[in-house]
Amino acid sequence: MKNAGLFVLLLCASLAWGQTERDVADGKATFRSNCAFCHGLTGGGGRGPALISRQFLHGSTDDDIKNVVRNGVPGTTMPAFEFEKEELDHLVAYLRTLAGAAPKAEPVAGDPMKGRQIYERRGCSGCHRIGPQGSVYGPELTRIGAGRSPHYLRESIVNPSADIPEEYSGVTVVTRDGKHITGVRINEDTFSVQLRDPSQTFRMFQKDEVQQVVHETKSLMPAYNTLSQDDLQNLLAYLDSLRGELNAGAGAKKAAGVR
Amino acid sequence: MRRAWAFCLVALALGAQDVTHDRLVNALKEQQNWLTYWGDYSAVRHRDLNQINTGNVKNLRVDWIFQTGQPGSFETVPLVVDGVMYLTGGNGYAYALDARSGRQLWIYKHTFPPGRKGNGVNRGFAILGNRLFMVTPDANVVALDARTGRLIWQTEMAPYNNGQHTATLAPIAIKDKIIVGISGAEFGIRGFIDAYDPVTGKRIWRFWTVPDKGQPGGDTWLGDSWTRGGGATWMTGTYDPHLNTLYWGVGNPGPDLFGETRKGDNLYTCSLVALDPDTGKLKWYFQFSPHDTHDWDAAETPMLLDLNWKGRDRKVVVQANRNAFFYVLDRENGEFLMGKPFARQTWATELDAKGRPILRDHTEPSVEGTRLCPGLAGAANWMAPSYNPETKLFYFAVREQCDVYYSSPPVYIEGRPYWGSVSRGVTDEPEWGMLKALDPLTGETRWDFRYFHAPWAGTLSTAGGLIFAGDQDGFLMAFDARTGKNLWKISTGSAIANSPITYMLKGRQYVAMPSGSAVLTFALPE
Repeated sequence: MKNAGLFVLLLCASLAWGQTERDVADGKATFRSNCAFCHGLTGGGGRGPALISRQFLHGSTDDDIKNVVRNGVPGTTMPAFEFEKEELDHLVAYLRTLAGAAPKAEPVAGDPMKGRQIYERRGCSGCHRIGPQGSVYGPELTRIGAGRSPHYLRESIVNPSADIPEEYSGVTVVTRDGKHITGVRINEDTFSVQLRDPSQTFRMFQKDEVQQVVHETKSLMPAYNTLSQDDLQNLLAYLDSLRGELNAGAGAKKAAGVR
Repeated sequence: MRRAWAFCLVALALGAQDVTHDRLVNALKEQQNWLTYWGDYSAVRHRDLNQINTGNVKNLRVDWIFQTGQPGSFETVPLVVDGVMYLTGGNGYAYALDARSGRQLWIYKHTFPPGRKGNGVNRGFAILGNRLFMVTPDANVVALDARTGRLIWQTEMAPYNNGQHTATLAPIAIKDKIIVGISGAEFGIRGFIDAYDPVTGKRIWRFWTVPDKGQPGGDTWLGDSWTRGGGATWMTGTYDPHLNTLYWGVGNPGPDLFGETRKGDNLYTCSLVALDPDTGKLKWYFQFSPHDTHDWDAAETPMLLDLNWKGRDRKVVVQANRNAFFYVLDRENGEFLMGKPFARQTWATELDAKGRPILRDHTEPSVEGTRLCPGLAGAANWMAPSYNPETKLFYFAVREQCDVYYSSPPVYIEGRPYWGSVSRGVTDEPEWGMLKALDPLTGETRWDFRYFHAPWAGTLSTAGGLIFAGDQDGFLMAFDARTGKNLWKISTGSAIANSPITYMLKGRQYVAMPSGSAVLTFALPE
């Protein structure tokens, strides 16, 4: 009964935006087909952030949300979508029902300043980059808090092999004299492969000139599963706080309305 | 004297290089030319040319390159007629080139009325007499003067409706008709095959690939779902002049991934239809994927072969279908002779005695997503296979890729995609592809060559013992037809999305491969 009451409340809330039950259902279908892949089937988050709080990362008005959907979010994996105006209205109506379904987003627990110290102590910048600092070997983290849910970030630290973005697949080339060269695969075709090694150097091979090309099934990032709970939480809080400007100072402009 | 005059008049009217129906029927006897989209009517894509062969192909080099300077990538297969190469580009462009030098002879640009998107790929010309025929992104059939590129007539196949109807295929010329198909099964169209008068542009007949209520097959559609039932006919058919039968692969039903509102087998989608080209009347049909919900259309090449089938000479039609099965049918009556999987497939346990698939459980697209192989793009697709009469093998591009299929009821908006949800590539394994040599008598693989990515390029066979093929990373390659050994390759710099051709001119054999917005033509050093 409690749930039924909540449902009526939600329905009323969504109708208050001038949308019908059918519109919300249409929006849900659009969401499941286009958004659920990253944001989860019920908006709980995945590769992409959760959408069940009232606060959205890049602005919370209808226009803010539509801008994000239309233009994508630079520096993240959120792409731009071409929806009809009506589809977008229905999608936002559905998102509003999700937002109403959860309590206000809690900030990630932990101390970002302490997390930053762990990041430095553990040598994360040997592979990752925040702003101009660090290496281009692994994924850039300048805006990682804006593009990934805390749950996903936690998993990426303790079990990085759970989800390996394609552009960070690992490859090991075994040369004819038996050397093993491992790196991030930049490109590969039927006859050649190009890597970036941990020293940030391009390594390029013709397949018929090497002994073997091995596609790593595990992430090139070590699993940090021995961190204390406190350290992990602080590190997460730090990563979640990273919402900086991509190419800060380079004059790159963000799409209008995207914060 | 009078007779001589009559001869001169006929010669004048026809011109020296006119392509008659007889020439098209005997296209394989004109080894120097490439007279139809498939190279002939049967689509074997084999040429008895052996100047370039397994011994010297390593010396093959670029002879000339033609750059369109236009955005977009070629999906066309050029025609070569007595020294002239005729080809279509994307976005309504077409060109005639000197096939020896690559120099342009004329350019044509289709005029799009205001408000119409003028972008879209095109797969090539048909030629009849001294006229060329192409279709346009806004679903017109266009006739051009082959000598000048001047527009002679254009006929709208179906209302544009905000881009709902489009056309991409190369027409086929049969006797006194130009036969074309339509694209747009993703936009809620009702598909058809049309025949037009090459002289006037008037429509002579239409075959609806989705029958009306009350017509045979009409009861395979729930309610009025047939009105937006899809069944596009976006690839060129093949033709048997002796049986006077046209064979055409029909596309998927719409909405693609949502089958609830169109319960039934959904004839004649995902089928091969055999038509009388004089009347457009159906002779027989065979449905590969009844009630498809995975976009596995049957647009793949219906190649016509005469095989000794279990001790008996039979006229067959073979197709490596998008659903991952290789089919052999009797092309006189549509009888199912064989169907064998040629790639990974997780949707059917087997085909029954009549060729109908027996489905596994849980193959329908769903709200949560259903993982299935092959993916939506299929284990094969429109890129052309070839057949070598000496090795008796069928050479084709295989795609190994699985998808998660999602489904939800679509909303119909004119000119907008009407998919009924989406599919996504699986993320836990990479896609890959193969060039495969298959024995059409058994469906067994003789050899294969692995590509890093799933390809969109077809094959060409020559008497030089070679198979030419392309891949998604832009390589044009030559292989030993008997062993599959890679003998030559060149990176063309753009994904290849069509099939190579070969021709002969002034004693030199050429191989031509449109790639990106360039035509690359290869020959041995002089």
